Amino acid sequence: MSLKKKKSLDFEVNLIPFIDLLSTCICFLLLTAVWINVASMNVKQAVGGQAADAGAKKPTVWVAMSQGGDLTLDVKDAHVPAKLEKFTIPGLQGKPNLELLSQAVAQLKATEPKLNTALIQPTAASIYEDIISLMDGFKKSGVTDLGVSPL
Amino acid sequence: MSIINHGVIKTSAIGSVIGESSVIAPKTERHKREVHAELLLTALIDAFSILVIFLLMSFSSSGEVLFVGKGIELPKATMGEQLDRQPVVKVEEGKLFVEDKEVPEANLVQALLDLRKKFQETRPNEEFPGIITIQGDRRLKYEQLNSIVLASSQAGFSDIKFAVISK
Repeated sequence: MSLKKKKSLDFEVNLIPFIDLLSTCICFLLLTAVWINVASMNVKQAVGGQAADAGAKKPTVWVAMSQGGDLTLDVKDAHVPAKLEKFTIPGLQGKPNLELLSQAVAQLKATEPKLNTALIQPTAASIYEDIISLMDGFKKSGVTDLGVSPL
Repeated sequence: MSIINHGVIKTSAIGSVIGESSVIAPKTERHKREVHAELLLTALIDAFSILVIFLLMSFSSSGEVLFVGKGIELPKATMGEQLDRQPVVKVEEGKLFVEDKEVPEANLVQALLDLRKKFQETRPNEEFPGIITIQGDRRLKYEQLNSIVLASSQAGFSDIKFAVISK
């Protein structure tokens, strides 16, 4: 009986093609990558948008911005307590106080769950960044239908 | 021969001066030690794989919808939605641009109406979406954006998308 020479089970995978493939992938992805993630804050125009929905009478909160960052919230077509119908949120260092705003909106949503529309009325001196942060604050609080009115 | 390969001769005589002039294993050149080093490629492949996964996860198939100029710093927002390709009006250094073409403020409505007309000519079977993207610096005052908001309203663009940077 002759002993058959056993073939070694150890083998080496040729890794060079893998490296080539991965390098090509990395180069392609690096070249085509978009590093700035641009998004959009979608709004409807208060005047035009409301005219179309005038018959619906949705609960709406009108938000008047003022120069010191104060926000005056005026709730319309909603069943809310008298103290929540119209109130002012004082600004914080010249900017809208978003923390107080989210608390106020949470209160409003608790009494009027159908409140999903906010119409922002900026002044001529309102800073674009503040308007966007206000919209962002409303969206975070669950008020998703936003409008902005012209001066 | 096996004596030469495995025996004392290989380790002593062949490697020496005698070995070079030996009849058994003659060498004309000096014996050079073979340099054979293996790189450990597994770690490299691991690193590459992690890079590829990271880049694939951050890959955006929608491409660059907006070209943001050096002078413009977009405001930041957390609840931003995906930006689609729509007509862009931007304010840069106090000037108004409709689709990268400078337009005087007085002609803004006409420029937007032209865009609307062009859309209806090129796509007669589609409903006009009436969406416009506004791009402006975060420090702008609303009075500078107001003309765009009014003009877009007059031209029938009722939906406005303010371009922002996702936080």
